[in-house]
Amino acid sequence: MVDLSVNICGVELKNPVIPASGTFGFGREFNEIYDISVLGGVATKGLTLEPRAGNPVPRIAESKGVILNSVGLQNPGVESFIENDLNWLKNKTRVLANVAGKTLSDYEKICARLDGMVDFIELNISCPNVKAGGMAFGIKPESVKEVTHVAKSALKKTPLIVKLSPNVESIARNAIAAEEGGADCLSLINTITGLAVDIENRRPILANNTGGVSGAGVKPIALRMVYEAAHAVNIPVIGMGGITCAEDAVEFLMAGAVAVQVGTRNFKNSRACPDIIEGLRGWCERHGVEKVSSLTGTLKFYQ
Amino acid sequence: MREVIARVLENAPITEDVFSLTFCCEEEIPVRAGQFAMIGVSGFPLRRPIAICKAEGERITVCYRLKGEGTKRMSRELKPGENLSVLLPLGNGFYAAEEERRIALVGGGAGVFPLISALRQYADKKQVFAYMGFKNKENLCMEHEIYRASGGLIATDDGSFGFHGSAVAAFESEADKIKPEVVFSCGPLPMMRALAEYTKRKNIKTFVSLEERMGCGLGACLVCICEKTNGEHARVCKDGPVFDAREIFG
Repeated sequence: MVDLSVNICGVELKNPVIPASGTFGFGREFNEIYDISVLGGVATKGLTLEPRAGNPVPRIAESKGVILNSVGLQNPGVESFIENDLNWLKNKTRVLANVAGKTLSDYEKICARLDGMVDFIELNISCPNVKAGGMAFGIKPESVKEVTHVAKSALKKTPLIVKLSPNVESIARNAIAAEEGGADCLSLINTITGLAVDIENRRPILANNTGGVSGAGVKPIALRMVYEAAHAVNIPVIGMGGITCAEDAVEFLMAGAVAVQVGTRNFKNSRACPDIIEGLRGWCERHGVEKVSSLTGTLKFYQ
Repeated sequence: MREVIARVLENAPITEDVFSLTFCCEEEIPVRAGQFAMIGVSGFPLRRPIAICKAEGERITVCYRLKGEGTKRMSRELKPGENLSVLLPLGNGFYAAEEERRIALVGGGAGVFPLISALRQYADKKQVFAYMGFKNKENLCMEHEIYRASGGLIATDDGSFGFHGSAVAAFESEADKIKPEVVFSCGPLPMMRALAEYTKRKNIKTFVSLEERMGCGLGACLVCICEKTNGEHARVCKDGPVFDAREIFG
């Protein structure tokens, strides 16, 4: 019997597979396909204090091996989530509440509101900071540390995961900045900013012009960043970016992740997460691995 | 809705740029008129949302227009016997109330195909009038299905077959005579808008089926949004694809 459970910041997950924020709503729709209580947890659709309408359509485009999205954080707001979805989701699995804001005060308030109600807060710091000319909080180490500190100060009970943006100068420096700001855990990578072009109309395909790139094509970039971040800090790291199968998940674990998130693949195979869980079990059995948690960080780099 | 691995039975052209794909699921799939399927294409990260044209037990037929690289690959690679990853049936579909006895279908281009499913569902129970528009005679297809209708017209833009003009013009030419209680439509947005303006004047209940680029197809990812006239954002995949025309066009 393979032990698939992992422990992140003192919270036990029955396995290390979590659908990534934005691809899975609050889990209800996918629960019509399979019982989502098989999952290690669910990273919720990004939540903001107030409801948000999001960007104009088209919000999705495809390029070779990847997709681009510009949903623009459409969500019903944190109060609606608490009232309508949280209890249902908590009864199913671990809840990683993904939260976003436009100002430091937004982050502080939403973290304080959810403190003690969810298993983890996952801080989306890829949003533009309206008070700093619109540059995303997640770009410079100084602002990563600051927003992390503000969020952490509002959390008395719930562990804080900071979700790092890959659109940065040094992922290791930003990982350290988040750790110094008080992060209990990191997750990465968020999407890479990209552009898709409709050459017939000489227009971007996305109405927002640019969007976040995700999917199988970003996996090597994500793996490198997970490795660099995991080696830079002493807090656990959740890896994601282009995972489509159990073997991909094993790569992320070996590169230093304690758990993985799966996003874009849910669109190609609605059962991607349970398939990856079963695939991990099979891989571990075939390789004599008794505990999946023993795989973390076992990748041996050439000297 | 179900995630299935289906087997391709047939995948063949029915006009120069439309293919008809029939596949067999492991089990019977109950499909309502106007629902759709998300069809996986090897090498592409997104599935293609395609309207279900016919559902006969475990056998499902969809028709798709060769539009981009994905549909072109579908036309080349999906040979009989091949496996196909499909999520279905999705969306709300066309629904006629018990007391609505006379239905008009108004479809243009690839919008004809979801209406074929409505025709098949209601042809035996109600009077169904079909107004189907094509570019020209060469693009005409599904006549054997369209002729199940109690009446209606086939229209071509260039007059090379049937009524000379759009499907909406064909419908308007007979609307006072057939007196439909409800209209189902699918096709290009300007076509459906023109229809909606007409049926609003005539006070005829109208439902339109929308198309949008989709992600999950299940209602979770909030990619395929349409803005209703009241400002609400609806999910085309889950709250639609069929909407009351007044919610979309006012």
